[in-house]
Amino acid sequence: MSTDVATAPTGPGPARTGAGGSREAATRGAFYGAIAVFAALILYGAISTDGFLTMTNVRAILSSVAFVGMVAVGTALIMISGNLFSLAVGSTAAAAAMIFLALLPHGIVLAFAVTLLMGVVVGAMQGFLVGGIGANTIIVTIGAAGLIQGVALWASHGATILPPKGDTSFDWLNGHIFTFAVPIYILFGTVVVLDQFLRRSRFGRRLKLVGENVEAARAAGIRTAWVVIGAFSIAGGLFAFAGLELGAFNESGSLLIEGTQTYDAIAAAVVGGIAITGGRGSVWQALGGAILIAMISDILLLRGYSEGIQILVKGVVVFAVVVLARLNRMRAES
Amino acid sequence: MPDILRFRGPALRPFLTLAVFAIAFALLPQYATGEVGTANIANVLTSFAGIGLVALALGLTMIIGEYDLSVSSTYLLGGMLAVKTGGDSPVLGAAIAVAAGLLVGFVQGVVIAKLRMSSIPVTLGGFIALLGLVYVLSNSKSVNYSDLKVTLGLNEPVLTVFTERSLIAIGIFLVLAGVFAFTWLGRDVRAIGSDRKAARTSGVRVDRIVIGTFMSSAAISCFSGALLAYSLAYATPNRTVAPLVFATTAALLGGVSLSGGRGNPLGIGCGVLCLAILNEALAVTGSAAYVTYLVTGGLLLIVTIVDAPHLLRWWRTTKAAENLRAGFSGRPPAEAATGGAR
Repeated sequence: MSTDVATAPTGPGPARTGAGGSREAATRGAFYGAIAVFAALILYGAISTDGFLTMTNVRAILSSVAFVGMVAVGTALIMISGNLFSLAVGSTAAAAAMIFLALLPHGIVLAFAVTLLMGVVVGAMQGFLVGGIGANTIIVTIGAAGLIQGVALWASHGATILPPKGDTSFDWLNGHIFTFAVPIYILFGTVVVLDQFLRRSRFGRRLKLVGENVEAARAAGIRTAWVVIGAFSIAGGLFAFAGLELGAFNESGSLLIEGTQTYDAIAAAVVGGIAITGGRGSVWQALGGAILIAMISDILLLRGYSEGIQILVKGVVVFAVVVLARLNRMRAES
Repeated sequence: MPDILRFRGPALRPFLTLAVFAIAFALLPQYATGEVGTANIANVLTSFAGIGLVALALGLTMIIGEYDLSVSSTYLLGGMLAVKTGGDSPVLGAAIAVAAGLLVGFVQGVVIAKLRMSSIPVTLGGFIALLGLVYVLSNSKSVNYSDLKVTLGLNEPVLTVFTERSLIAIGIFLVLAGVFAFTWLGRDVRAIGSDRKAARTSGVRVDRIVIGTFMSSAAISCFSGALLAYSLAYATPNRTVAPLVFATTAALLGGVSLSGGRGNPLGIGCGVLCLAILNEALAVTGSAAYVTYLVTGGLLLIVTIVDAPHLLRWWRTTKAAENLRAGFSGRPPAEAATGGAR
């Protein structure tokens, strides 16, 4: 991770290697901590919960990872770019589900293309406001969420969108290959491709640099606005893709479909160990966080806890992880 | 001279904005169907009482350069606690709500101040956890409040346009405005918002004030939720971030800046009134639900764009880049024509 920054032509100079080294140690500490939590949780879940280690349950966990992972990866990109997270995840996904199902009569290719394009454009516009003119991410994304919901209500007249009767063109999205649902393969493919892209492309290196120190990146001649717009555009596309899959899975689309996706996405990225301050993290970590969050939800569900407890636990986990990461970093820096 | 009396520039802006909104609303009947009268003023004050205090709570944290995402959850939590515990004594229910707010604010404030953390990740955890707590407390259902006397009393009209609850909300605004204008606290709070390091160096007890601000913010937000729940006779768990959208827009319209160090309770009050007038205008003209979403979301984006620190820089660097590109091609756009002719 640090080698990426070091090989970048505009990486921090030798004067910062000291700080970089301790940060590296802090990151590694957090990483091993996360692995330990992960292992402990699997153990606890397996031992204490009936029905956890069954094939049906593993399939169920992976099915929810397919959705949560997709939005978590998008959130990771925004977080790595140093712009916290989006609170428009759920709204974008819900709108995508509605657009996809509404456009199915015109053919699935067109429905796919327009839905993803909507996500990318909506993301790019938010990216411009955040990266271009320095507006606050949280506020821009809640404003955007409000606008998206308004447009969705207006266009749908408040009705739930259903796919055309007898349409089977999207059934493959709900199919299974080797017992696992298709979206999980799509997610793994996305993660592999995005990871390679971020490692090998100039964009990937710049993304980390901008997240690490936006002023330094600007001083180095990087057009930081475009990097942030890029991160938000890809994220928007991923949010839309997750919504599309959700719409196909539920065979209905409305604003209610968003559920707790926004919180799950952020929780997964944070739990995966992506620095909320930006500059560090990989999409694999977001996937790992998504698996962890899905497992937590699953264990609580199997044990019959209410939705409220599930949300509460996720909130406490987010709180604990950000505080621990900060303590870890302070210890490394002192 | 107290800060509040030095009306100039930015301090005056919220009042001017409010004047524009009020005049526009008064002129509404000439451009759309609907009537404007004292009933509308009463409605505006009612929505002011309903959600104005949340804007005040969030605005306080914005003035010190932070952002308390958890207000939308503490708002729900306060209402739920009040309805659940205030059956016999509404004052007790409200007190429990406020106490819960103080506790939440204390935990978040200590973490933010002592660990020098940004408030957004911390309050995000609080926001999600408390939302879960509200669902747990309510069993994911609306909870009714049975003491109708309290509900009727709070909604009883006073002097035609006021109600008991709008007077309570206005009172809290005025008390805080007084604190800001006439004590050292207002000055110190703004100093922390503009430059925390400098404030610390010059002897401001930064940590205490940051913790205190988060405690007051969460307590006000909880109390506001309790007030609303009593006056509606129910509390309901709700996942929407609508209170956050409203509160942020109101605070920004009210002269608070996201970068911190600017704003005061009176300005925030003006911002809330602007939005309350806007809501009333939407109601008078019989607008559909989606219009409200579009208008509030759009307005939030507009005030955010105006508040954005690099708006001018984007414009200038784009211009500069265009000139640079023109320079590299050897022919600035203005001379291109003559160059071609030669």
